[in-house]
Amino acid sequence: MQSGQPQGLTSYAEADLQIIRTMWHPGTFYWFWIMVTGLGVAVGAIAWGYQIVTGLGAANVMHPVMWASYLTNFVFWVGIAHSGTLISAILFLFRASWRTTVSRASEAMTIFAVMIAGLFPLIHLGRVWIVYWILPYPNERNLWPNFQSPLVFDVIAISTYLTVSFLFWYTGMIPDLATIRDRTTGWRSRVYGFLALGWEGSNQSWRHYGTAYLFFAALATPLVISVHSVVSWDFALGISPGWHSTIFAPYFVAGAIHSGLAMVLVLLIPLRKIYKFENLLTIYVFEQIARTIILTGLIVGYSYAVEHFMSVYSGNEPEATQYHWRMTGYYSWCYWMMVVCNVFVPIALFFKKVRTNLKALFTIGILVLIGMWFERLVIIAGTQAHEFDPYSWGVYKYPSMVEWCILVGSFSLFFFLFLLFAKFLPTISITELKEAIPPGEIKG
Amino acid sequence: MQNLNRREFLKLFGVCGTGAVLSGCSEPKRYLIPYIDPPEDVTPGVAAYYATTCRECPAGCGMIAKNREGRTIKVEGNPVQPISGGKLCMRGQASLHGLYNPDRFTGPMLRGAAGQFEPVSWEKGQTILASTISEIVRRGGAGRIVFLTDLITGSLEDMTAHWLSEMGQRNGHVVYETYAYESLRQANKAVFGNDAVPTYRFDDLDFLISFNADLLETWISNLEFARQFGDFHPIKGDKKNKFVFVGPRLSMTANNADLWIQTRPGTEYAVALGIIRAILDGGLMPAIPAGRRAYLGSITANWPVEKAAATAGCDPGMIRAAAGEFARAARPFAISDGRSMFSPNATETAVAANLLCTLNPRSLGAADFGRPHSYSKTATAESIKNLTDRMRSGEIDLLLIHRANPVFSLPGDWDFAGAMKSVPSVVSLSPAVDETSSLANLVLPTNYSFETWGDYSPRKGVSGFLQPVMGRVFNTRDMGDILVSTGKKVKGENSFPWRDFHPALQGYWMRAYKDSGGSGDFQSFWEDVLMRGGYWPESISPSPAPTIQTPAFDFPGPDQKPGKGLPVVVYPTVQFFDGRMANHMWVQEIPDPMTQTTWGGWVEIHPETAREMDLGKGDLIEMKTDFGAVEVPVLPIYTVPKGVAAIPVGQGHTRFGRFADGLPANPFKLLPPELETVSGGIRNTGIFAAVRKTGGSFDIAHTDGSFSQHGRGFWQTVSLEERNKMAASGTMPDIDYPLPKGYEESKDFYPTHEHKDYRWSMVVDMDRCIGCGACVVGCYAENNVAVVKREQVLMGREMSWIRVQRYFDDETKLARWVVMLCQHCDNAPCEYVCPIFAPQHSVEGINNQIYNRCFGTRFCSQNDPYKVRRFNWYTFSRPSPLKWQLNPDVTVRQKGVMEKCSFCIQRIIEAKIDARNKGRKVKDGDFTTACAQTCPTNALVFGSLLDPESRVSRMINDVRAYQVLVELNTKPAVIYLKRVTQEIVA
Repeated sequence: MQSGQPQGLTSYAEADLQIIRTMWHPGTFYWFWIMVTGLGVAVGAIAWGYQIVTGLGAANVMHPVMWASYLTNFVFWVGIAHSGTLISAILFLFRASWRTTVSRASEAMTIFAVMIAGLFPLIHLGRVWIVYWILPYPNERNLWPNFQSPLVFDVIAISTYLTVSFLFWYTGMIPDLATIRDRTTGWRSRVYGFLALGWEGSNQSWRHYGTAYLFFAALATPLVISVHSVVSWDFALGISPGWHSTIFAPYFVAGAIHSGLAMVLVLLIPLRKIYKFENLLTIYVFEQIARTIILTGLIVGYSYAVEHFMSVYSGNEPEATQYHWRMTGYYSWCYWMMVVCNVFVPIALFFKKVRTNLKALFTIGILVLIGMWFERLVIIAGTQAHEFDPYSWGVYKYPSMVEWCILVGSFSLFFFLFLLFAKFLPTISITELKEAIPPGEIKG
Repeated sequence: MQNLNRREFLKLFGVCGTGAVLSGCSEPKRYLIPYIDPPEDVTPGVAAYYATTCRECPAGCGMIAKNREGRTIKVEGNPVQPISGGKLCMRGQASLHGLYNPDRFTGPMLRGAAGQFEPVSWEKGQTILASTISEIVRRGGAGRIVFLTDLITGSLEDMTAHWLSEMGQRNGHVVYETYAYESLRQANKAVFGNDAVPTYRFDDLDFLISFNADLLETWISNLEFARQFGDFHPIKGDKKNKFVFVGPRLSMTANNADLWIQTRPGTEYAVALGIIRAILDGGLMPAIPAGRRAYLGSITANWPVEKAAATAGCDPGMIRAAAGEFARAARPFAISDGRSMFSPNATETAVAANLLCTLNPRSLGAADFGRPHSYSKTATAESIKNLTDRMRSGEIDLLLIHRANPVFSLPGDWDFAGAMKSVPSVVSLSPAVDETSSLANLVLPTNYSFETWGDYSPRKGVSGFLQPVMGRVFNTRDMGDILVSTGKKVKGENSFPWRDFHPALQGYWMRAYKDSGGSGDFQSFWEDVLMRGGYWPESISPSPAPTIQTPAFDFPGPDQKPGKGLPVVVYPTVQFFDGRMANHMWVQEIPDPMTQTTWGGWVEIHPETAREMDLGKGDLIEMKTDFGAVEVPVLPIYTVPKGVAAIPVGQGHTRFGRFADGLPANPFKLLPPELETVSGGIRNTGIFAAVRKTGGSFDIAHTDGSFSQHGRGFWQTVSLEERNKMAASGTMPDIDYPLPKGYEESKDFYPTHEHKDYRWSMVVDMDRCIGCGACVVGCYAENNVAVVKREQVLMGREMSWIRVQRYFDDETKLARWVVMLCQHCDNAPCEYVCPIFAPQHSVEGINNQIYNRCFGTRFCSQNDPYKVRRFNWYTFSRPSPLKWQLNPDVTVRQKGVMEKCSFCIQRIIEAKIDARNKGRKVKDGDFTTACAQTCPTNALVFGSLLDPESRVSRMINDVRAYQVLVELNTKPAVIYLKRVTQEIVA
């Protein structure tokens, strides 16, 4: 049977236990990866510390490419964050049943990704120790942030997004936490009891829960659009050729969802195997994700085409030169990698054989992630390298050791947090899982 | 630890606590002012100014040194001195880096047993020198001591002569200058009967043709000539004088010409002869006397225009065009380089150019032989060769060297360094280590020009004074003092009756004053010349025109065979002169005007030739001639014709301090060792190099991102006819005024900026700009702009606030400059993107960058279409004592903040305070920015647009006015005036 319904569950207790048995008892494999990612986090932190002490010269950013890998990572991680909310909130509103089993993990992914994304503008600052000056609060300096600046929009958008995503995630988790409280004893019961905020499972609790969840879903949905639109305005509100374009907001949102879905594939396929969730994360779920990737891939491809067309059609010489240079200049290999990975590779998903082959899906997920990372690099570094003044053209050649370490650190931090999440919190919503068990199958 | 009692615990606690407090305050203790009890005339916060003379090259420009708290922080031209006229070139602006060079000798040094320099006391050093001299004097002999100096004149020359004669030496003083202009002097002797370098005056000419003389870069007195060029060449009313350059390379000077006649190296003379022939054949100048006509006819008999053009490898039409212009002009003049090392047939070219001048005797006054340049005193290469031979044969017992560096600049084949080994005693009196000084046995370091008493006369009638403008940086002494004290040691008080050099200097000038008919109080004369910076009796009447000779002269035939290999042009640059500037960090950091390259030499090859030879940018090649070889990286660029290579001199040092050493490459080592029999200069028979790729590479640290401006209107030109037509029809330029009147509802969303009292603005006249880069060094010095060095320039991290961008015209491949600095836009794209208002629009229209407010998002730079904002990637620092040069009025920026041109806001504030004290507003011309101040051609003009009478207010309505990237609606307050082009046709 093709559906997103969980398979082979015959009682609520079974559902509870299948999820709860994955928690707390780390094996060697888990310890290995938590060590590896923990080490990666340490490497990234040391690299950042080194950069703060020596100055941003530690990264290979230069004049004119003042923004490079850090803001590429920033946009990349914000993009990753998007699909989480998309899956859990938008699909919730649309009652797409296949989302049930993946929503919790993708929400967690959202929160971790936003947290990491939020770090990158800080890493990228010249003098991070006074970053709080950007916050609008009455202060003894008698200074106020500049609300004309897209960077101030960013601060507001990202912090709002993080707050709402967290609340949405946490609200959805309260009944699960209560379930865990009830199924455990000792300190676990006490800790999860505290986190469950006194959940009683009463009718009233469920009614409030349902309403709150719906509201948060409704609140999170426009944020998916707005946050990445705001991120795109960091570029579109500038005047640089290659940035100054009205297409940027929808183009960035589509790109964000594209990369986010790819990240969902990359995370869930191993999770399914390791936790033996084949009955929950059915092939049908993956197929649906793959179909959405086709759509976002086509939107992204269309955006590329429109950008190029407009650059030529507008008769704007710096703009036309910019796009021509993207295809032929120093970053051309990044550009073609981006086109192939983001637009052409997902076309393979039109074939059902590919859509249902987990190995292929995993590979495509990785490729799209790489492609989307390079898209951000091409947009950010490529534009700056080739702006209005030809005398000041210059290229950011490659990331420095510090940048590599911070990149590794950011991925490590993501997986480190995800690993912690996998052992300390239910990775699949138990509540929704139980709701999704067809009533006829319930025996106990 | 177990037995720790209370007392011990407290002790330990105290130690740890103090340690923590100390390490918390890790900033080293610093003093705001270098004095505990300052001298009377030092007021903290108030600058003192002293006049002195630039000694970075023999041009001798007058300088005003600005002192703050006892340290010289900036130099500017002395406005009353006739050579500098208030301006300085890049080298003059950078002279402070010679003073504060961290690689200067810190005190007297003696070569120890291990071959290393070891510090000794002055007493001991001078005693050693005195005993060496005494020994030589005891043994006798009139030519045993040689004093090899750079070009010194006046009292110091006098003292040197006195010292040598007291020691019983004859002809012991050898003035070594790399550029001795032997060919020019010889040609002047041949044609004008004067073996001298004259004083030139170009500002009242109406046509000038230069045969490879880079008069705007290093030739004789380049700053003075650049100033004169600023009067000669730019458009005046509706007229523009014409300038033609003949030579093998598109030098900075060539690029300022209306016509560049490309020639094969060493064939410029053919063009000159062809021009004479064209004038004679065409009867273009009927006034030439018959005798002269016959003489010139016979000289040019073999040189019909076609043949001359074929020899030179140029278009005969160009020769005819130049001839036509020369004939039509009322006051035409021709000059030639006259440095035989740089070009084959330099003497022939100089003679031919002089012969060309004789066609129009009315303008011969442009070369005044009554006021010879001091270059005329320099030793020819021939006498240096003789000296080398004498040294090698053991005829010399003591060689004293002062600021001369022949080991670097003589042909490698002469092996001056080897010859020095045959001299038992070599004593260096140079202030800083160089290739020659590093071979000395004893170093008695002299003061830098800023620390010394003295005078220097670049030409007859002009004497610049030197006075110690600040205390000594290192343990050094005046050269004069060393002469006096060693003289006393050897010959006693009677022969050297002065306390030190200062009374001798005064005595010299007292005599000079009396001789020149001065009868007033010497003391007031003395104080006056010190204050004014020198003595230049105004009433020097121009000397009578020279008598024109008719020398018999053999010009090389038109069918010389070229040598084998790639022809190489060796040329000097405005930055490095003969290499003596290479240890000045600023000079290394500022891009070369034509190639935009920093920190290291290169070989220019035409891009097509490079492609044919399979050479890419940065490929290291070995260029080998019969006399030497250099390894140098390739730079494919349009400054040389196809099939020709060009290498600048100045780099390739081995013992010249940390900033100069190890950079490629020194082309002096490729020069042939022979001498020209006629002039006594080095005979360049044509340098033809065998080229071999070494396989290595040396990244060229250039600052330009593109040769072409891609049609974006950074540089714009207008032809003279077009300009005159527009001016006649009363056309107004299309300018978005950086004023409320520049705003239109149709394209402006935000309200206008209201200005209070002033709206600062700058006009850059690109018809005046010669691309020399003096403004850039002026800015570095004034605004504490950091020098980032080669590795960071390669990363694109240079910090210049102002730059002279070089593009090439897509069709003609001539270079076009544009001076780019912060445009202080009225509608600035950098301002609105900053999240925390670090860039702030002031009420005087300035785009202020508030360093303390900036936390380094770098968005402003991203959104800056002119790319003039610079980010501090590190806390850039300066090795001591270079940091003494820092301007205390300007914040030194730390890592993580953005910076950019401030329109010298500290000067604005100073001027406003000054005006307020006088109870008025700042007037146009009260002050100017550092860049505009030093511009030799006055291409930069600064002022307020709210003053309708200011120069900028008038200039922005010139028909030539334009703004860069005006289509972005930024409303720049830096407004450019188009370069005026004119065609030179027959």
